[in-house]
Amino acid sequence: MELIRKLGEVDPRWLYVLLVLVVLIPMVSPIGLPINVSAYTSNAFALLDSLKPGDTVVFDFGYYVDGAPDVEPIAVALFDHLFSKGVRIVCVSYKNHGPMIVDKLTEPHVKAGKEYGVDFVNLGFLAGGETALAAWAADIKKAYPTDWKGNNTSTMPILQGINTVADFDMFVFYTDDSAEVWVRQISQYKVPIIGGLITVTAPQAEPFLQSKQLAGLLVGLRGAAEYEKLMNKPGTASAGMDAQSMAHLMLIAFILFGNASYFIKRSKGLAGKGAAK
Amino acid sequence: MTIGAFSYLFKENVMYRTIEHIYVGAAAGYVISVGYQNLLTKAWRPLVNEGHWLVIIPVLLGLMLFGPYFGSKLSWTRRYPLSFIIGVGAGITIRSAVIEQLTKQLASTALPLRTVDNIFIVAGVLATLSYFFFTFKPTRTLTGVSEVGKWVIMITFGAAFGNAIMGRVSLVIGRVSFLFGEWIHLIKQ
Repeated sequence: MELIRKLGEVDPRWLYVLLVLVVLIPMVSPIGLPINVSAYTSNAFALLDSLKPGDTVVFDFGYYVDGAPDVEPIAVALFDHLFSKGVRIVCVSYKNHGPMIVDKLTEPHVKAGKEYGVDFVNLGFLAGGETALAAWAADIKKAYPTDWKGNNTSTMPILQGINTVADFDMFVFYTDDSAEVWVRQISQYKVPIIGGLITVTAPQAEPFLQSKQLAGLLVGLRGAAEYEKLMNKPGTASAGMDAQSMAHLMLIAFILFGNASYFIKRSKGLAGKGAAK
Repeated sequence: MTIGAFSYLFKENVMYRTIEHIYVGAAAGYVISVGYQNLLTKAWRPLVNEGHWLVIIPVLLGLMLFGPYFGSKLSWTRRYPLSFIIGVGAGITIRSAVIEQLTKQLASTALPLRTVDNIFIVAGVLATLSYFFFTFKPTRTLTGVSEVGKWVIMITFGAAFGNAIMGRVSLVIGRVSFLFGEWIHLIKQ
């Protein structure tokens, strides 16, 4: 009892150290805990896997670098998957970190032979938030007369025959924010929308999946790991799953210890009197 | 920089403050360069090189936003571009919000009560809505239903908080992976 009470009062700094160790150890020496693929991920994978060579997909980058560890592994997996199928990707950015992120993620594919302007394009950041999104969805070349590098979009091979969002075969967005903006402005174009969201905001997007306004949902690092499993290509996300599970176990244990400690103190008449120490 | 940022967890220190300033400075510098790029491609080139004179209208509206910085006598200039931005933004958002977030969500909640999932969804929505009846004195039945609604809200918050923790752990994994994978090479990539 005394041990549980003391564990509930442990200095938070020890918890930080422990959390880093609990995350680090399974990454250095993987345990190999099984990854179960959720229905959300398998539905999204099936949709993306149905695309044919030559199809064109939008990747809308709506996250800042501070949210990248949770959402970026999804984008990495989807770039790998779609490029391997010969699908063409048009990258746009709803937030100003987007162009930099696109350059970073496409660099290995350029080295592998993907051609800029033919297999993919980075159109860059368009200021104006939701208004800008609505504008380019209605007329992509008017909103983006040039790409991020200053090339003319009207003569670009990848954008031939594409005028509005409805001309794309699929729309994928990645965000550290909520999905509402894309639902409001893109779902009216009847193009299948797949959302890659950080884990924090994903529950808010689930009603849109039920109403079929979103065709698929990929949730954070876990969604990326599930996607990698379906691709049979374990990557950075899969490597982090053991660490994630162990960190959750640790946090559950300390939440239980904290509560047990509180009730023990309360039973002794110490709770709420600042007498914990 | 990662170690410096994490050092705040131990205690506030000079290293953390330095890193914080570098981060803010680098972010501001990046935003300025993106803004400059936007000005160049969306305003300067179309106006000067391509002769699209109508671009002068948004450029002038944009410049009017800076009026107040040149004295209080020019503070009125900001009202017109702000009115335009708010008007267009509200027009675009409200129309879509009513259709996509209200009408379609209402339609997708009117489900046939044939499956357990559907029963939970419909009962959960009705119970939650009943919790927010504030305009009349609740009856005994309504109090019972709204109590169920309160539990639905609590469970939703719990699930959202669980997801929040999972997301934050992912951020820690990202930094640990960087420090011990890309930097020290302790983790095999």
